[in-house]
Amino acid sequence: MADFLNTPFLWVVGTVLVYAVAYFVYGRWIDRNVWRSDAKRATPAHMYMDGVEYFPTSRYVLWGYQFKSVAALGPILGPFIGVTFGWLPALLWIIGGNFFIGWLQDYGSMMLSVRKEGHSFGPITYEFTGAGGRTNLLAFVLFYLIILSAAFIALIATFWNSFKGTTFVPTIGILFAGLLCGQLLYRFKMNVFVVTGIGLALIVLSLYLGTILPVVLPWGAWNIAVWAGVCVLILYIAAILPTPTFIQPTNYLAFYPAVAAVILIIVGALATPFTGVDIKLPAGPFLTDPQGLLGPIWPILFVAIACGAISGWHSLVSSSSSSKQLDVETDALPVGGGAMLSEGLLALASLIAYMVLTPAFVFGIPGDPANPSHTNVASWPVGAALLVSKLLGVDAANIVLTTFFGLVLIVYALTVQALVTRFFRLVAAETWGEGRFRLFGNKHVATAVGLGVPWAFAVSGSWWALWLYFGGANQLLAGLAIMLISIHLARVRAPTKYSLIPGIFMVVTTLAALLWQTWTFVYSVSLFLQGDKSWVVRNVRGPIQTDPNYLLVAVGINAVFVLVGALLFLVGVSMAIRLFRSYRSSVAEARAPVAADGGTPKE
Amino acid sequence: MAGAKEPSKPKSRGRKMREAAKGVIYGMAAHGHVTSALRTRMYLEHLFMFITLGDMLGVPVIPPYYSLRILPYAVPNIKSWKQRVFRERDFTDQVF
Repeated sequence: MADFLNTPFLWVVGTVLVYAVAYFVYGRWIDRNVWRSDAKRATPAHMYMDGVEYFPTSRYVLWGYQFKSVAALGPILGPFIGVTFGWLPALLWIIGGNFFIGWLQDYGSMMLSVRKEGHSFGPITYEFTGAGGRTNLLAFVLFYLIILSAAFIALIATFWNSFKGTTFVPTIGILFAGLLCGQLLYRFKMNVFVVTGIGLALIVLSLYLGTILPVVLPWGAWNIAVWAGVCVLILYIAAILPTPTFIQPTNYLAFYPAVAAVILIIVGALATPFTGVDIKLPAGPFLTDPQGLLGPIWPILFVAIACGAISGWHSLVSSSSSSKQLDVETDALPVGGGAMLSEGLLALASLIAYMVLTPAFVFGIPGDPANPSHTNVASWPVGAALLVSKLLGVDAANIVLTTFFGLVLIVYALTVQALVTRFFRLVAAETWGEGRFRLFGNKHVATAVGLGVPWAFAVSGSWWALWLYFGGANQLLAGLAIMLISIHLARVRAPTKYSLIPGIFMVVTTLAALLWQTWTFVYSVSLFLQGDKSWVVRNVRGPIQTDPNYLLVAVGINAVFVLVGALLFLVGVSMAIRLFRSYRSSVAEARAPVAADGGTPKE
Repeated sequence: MAGAKEPSKPKSRGRKMREAAKGVIYGMAAHGHVTSALRTRMYLEHLFMFITLGDMLGVPVIPPYYSLRILPYAVPNIKSWKQRVFRERDFTDQVF
């Protein structure tokens, strides 16, 4: 047995206990004293029941749906950047962020939507901040989706390029199985259990084929650009085809390996005292990242780990579909809060998969030509395989095991990205559907723009820079969602400090992170103008990074990233100002004395 | 009394847990797809109603003779059609 205290076991148990306190003590207290949820109050699911969008659903079903909708690549990849500052601060943020902010946002967004007759954030923003605020939100979401797509496409391409090329064939296998199962299910009306069996058999077969038929591209530094192109092509087809033909059945089949992987890792982490797998990465904290790529721990760590601690995407999910199907108000805590705390455990499991790897493998050894400094973004499958290998009685380097976890990583990214691309198309249709730029509202043009621009970012910029922009935008959305919650609470004269303080923290932190990241690019360009090109090439991807002929291209990419960061920052600041103003006026209105005749003083 | 429902027996703890597990798995695996399929059917029904009963909105798509022939079949859906069509929808409603 390994040194018990040096295994991840105690950290898993400790985090579960803290999350239990968050749910059973803090959560119930907030539910009872701040939102005052009432099981007898009619929810939108009952008031507007139509059997399609609004209908009451069991809390267990909704919990499963909410968890599946919010758990994606974020809680797996975020901790990877987090461990750069040491695993301890990353763990503390996953615990503390979720305890004080994360679940509160998911649950609050759901309750806010329920109390606003099932309205989603668009109409609620309109009500609180006017037409300008909603347009601002629309612009912000468009930017957010582009950056999110760029980060995910870059990562999918990197993953296909890793693991000795074994993951591409299984990915195509899952997509093909999804297409086939969709046809069997909807066209030939086959039994769902039989179809599921066929689909899973095809996945297992494709996994085996992947290990014997690896796909390794021969173009060296251009490989990522080609892989990203393949990814864009798949996403284009997914976004254009009707959802029952492609996205739905593929996501359904992908669910099984994805959930199996999470369960395996959590069991593997709990069994570490017996399997002898111990923590190898340094605990930290490092106040700035030792590699000098990211910057200071505040604000970078707080945007790097998004899902698992807090994520703005969740507020959109909570307020768009789950809130319309909530049977009783008291279900919001287990569905919204419970799903978020469960996602925290997924982030914890991912963090543990990194913690058990050696620093030399994850970050390299500075000055060692055989293993120079690097960021091995594809570390997760190796750590996951290490955690579960002894449980399954196989070697940690078993190619089937690493291919399986690599496939899960890709599937998490690809399935969510397909939905994001489709959402971008719908938002583009909303934005440019009429008027002079209506061409951009066209289904094919909008999808091409929603994938073409992210592709350009993905193949030119570093993945960590994209991830930090994505994290900044995502966390800022979370901060804005918490501000909307605070405005509502102020209007109904409920206590606001439990949401306002986290809201202010998130808005300030994320704006600071966006500013820092933008400044990094500005600084790189200014150094170039003074003759130092090292920072400019640091921020871009090969072959632009290594080929001196592309130096001006690298400068151009840095300049574009300055523009992107500045725009994100300005749109975010504008939105934050509108929300703070609305909050202030809401508090003033709530404090104003009520007129004797029952009307408000304004009347 | 014939036809009267017998009072349902309280569920055992084991049955409750089985139902909860079933619900969670269904919610994770299929609930999103089921609601998405329902929404697709809703949009197709909207289109059908618009084509057949467009005159109700002042947009005669097909000659009124055919609309009147279809009317008896369409009447049961008119109320829910109106309810869904008149509902305000925003881009943030379309995340999933």
